[in-house]
Amino acid sequence: MAEKILDVKDLVVEFNTDRGKVTAVNGVNLEVFKGKTLGLVGESGSGKSVTALSIMRLIPTPPGNIAAGEIKFRDKNLLDIPLDHMREIRGNKVAMIFQEPMTSLNPVFTVGNQIEEVLELHQKELSPAQRKEKAIEMLRLVGIPSPEQRVEEYPHQLSGGMRQRVMIAMSLACEPDLLIADEPTTALDVTIQAQILELMKKLQTELGMGIIMITHDLGVVAETCDDVAVMYCGQIVETADVETLFKHPQHPYTKGLIESIPSFDSTTGAKKDRLPTIEGMVPSLFELPEGCNFQGRCAYASEKCKGSGGEPKLESIGNEHLVRCFHPLA
Amino acid sequence: MNIYTYIIRRLLYVIPVLLGVCAIIFVLFNLVSPDPTLIMLGKHASVKQMAELRAELGLDRPMIEQYFDIVKSAFTFDFGRSWTTKQEISEMIKAGALPSLTVTFPAFILATVIAVAISLFVAFYRGKFLDKSVVLLCVALMSISSLAYILFGQYFFAFKLGLFEISGYEQAFPDFIPYVMLPILILIIISIGPDVRFYRTVMLDEIYQDYVRTARAKGLGEKMILFKHVLKNAMIPIITFVVIRLPFLILGTLLIESFFSIPGLGGITLNAINSSDFPVIRAMTVLSAVAYIIFSVITDVLYTLVDPRVRLG
Repeated sequence: MAEKILDVKDLVVEFNTDRGKVTAVNGVNLEVFKGKTLGLVGESGSGKSVTALSIMRLIPTPPGNIAAGEIKFRDKNLLDIPLDHMREIRGNKVAMIFQEPMTSLNPVFTVGNQIEEVLELHQKELSPAQRKEKAIEMLRLVGIPSPEQRVEEYPHQLSGGMRQRVMIAMSLACEPDLLIADEPTTALDVTIQAQILELMKKLQTELGMGIIMITHDLGVVAETCDDVAVMYCGQIVETADVETLFKHPQHPYTKGLIESIPSFDSTTGAKKDRLPTIEGMVPSLFELPEGCNFQGRCAYASEKCKGSGGEPKLESIGNEHLVRCFHPLA
Repeated sequence: MNIYTYIIRRLLYVIPVLLGVCAIIFVLFNLVSPDPTLIMLGKHASVKQMAELRAELGLDRPMIEQYFDIVKSAFTFDFGRSWTTKQEISEMIKAGALPSLTVTFPAFILATVIAVAISLFVAFYRGKFLDKSVVLLCVALMSISSLAYILFGQYFFAFKLGLFEISGYEQAFPDFIPYVMLPILILIIISIGPDVRFYRTVMLDEIYQDYVRTARAKGLGEKMILFKHVLKNAMIPIITFVVIRLPFLILGTLLIESFFSIPGLGGITLNAINSSDFPVIRAMTVLSAVAYIIFSVITDVLYTLVDPRVRLG
């Protein structure tokens, strides 16, 4: 088995709001291995991004705070180390790319400047000339044409896809062990999406980093991930390797997500009659029901799910496949 | 397009704007305001007296000629003579501009630097007790009338403690310094409240931008983020706010100058208004319009230097 680089244990993240305290992430466990990609899937508000930002310790505090848990990166608990130390890890050993390529780069600095800044922070031995050279090399690596000119350009002169490539170049400049990609392709055209995912996969094989791929798009998961964790209302409801999850989803929510992927019948080329959807809405984090959080939208919900059985636990059904359900589909 | 052609083009745009401004000034002074001869001679003046005065002041000439006098004065700064003192107005402006500037310029520079520094500081501690207290203090400073600062300053600091001169002015350098210290201090106190609030909003607008999160994710410290990333982005609204107020520094401050007997343009304007000295009032109006237009060109040019997204064109 590959080397484990990240081990998140029982992470709890709370936010204080005007309406009271909400638990955005409630007891999440994650493992990321070297050279592997973990997909973190869920609807908006399921706690994916908050989990990711917690690993970087970028949760805005206040209102948020990490109430409990452990984030072990190699042998260090990132939640215990001083902030200075954390800054040395950010952008260096653990890097992150964001959903919004249009606004994530600083508009008043050249892209070269912004890539060089990471190197200046974490690779102090490089001279300015070497930094610039490395920035150009990184731009070439992420497939930006004529990088020698592009390095002098400002973000507004680049398209969304190009900007996301710059973000990737910036995050990989120090060859991190772990890359957190928070919906890196959501804001991009489908063709550009495929290119970016392809690029990330290629760079992963070259550099051997572990990736956490946050997305709500199961197509992206199928394309890029080795393991998947499905999140709902701040909890992981099912986790397995990608093939098992797609072939044998155990949680009704996972099954619903997979069924709601638009697809064509591969033999006839005909469109499915009607795209199944998951009925109902995600419950508000302020008013989570007793028992299973998914009960209100679940066709299989029993009395046990509606509170009499307590809260369902994330339990193994063998072969590293965990599911949080009283009535797994089997 | 390079920066020089841009500046030249931008200056050419100034011409129609100036013609329009002069037209408005002309309408205000010649068609809307009361007959100046009535004001000067009183209501018992005879028709003959009025006609003579009109001829003397040049008010009997064709309208278009009078309009072009204003336009000409905008370029030559030759505003004619004052009706009351008979002095050359351009000389009066020259004499008054310097005393005004000795008060307003240092006050403005200091207030801006202090306010930007404080706003960066409170942006760093945003939402914390310190930030909230500073905002509260700013509102308190803004709520007090500037008259209160002037009277308190003159009575307490100048009269009781004898730290500054109560009022008056000396033309020579450095003799004027003790006279301008208190006015400068008061001007800073008056402007620091609104300034800090404005700059703080600007900084906070920037601090919640996505690029700041990216900078943090890179491993940058908060200070570097504020001074490098945030400040450079905040320069655009700051420049607008600062440069557009510069022309008004020449015109001085009516209240401060009259309370401290500083012979600046503010005082001259005030006297001109009191004595219906139309040419002087008009000169001040033209002067501020020209200054405003020129400084707005400067603002545009500065934008191109700080913001790469501003295209020359």
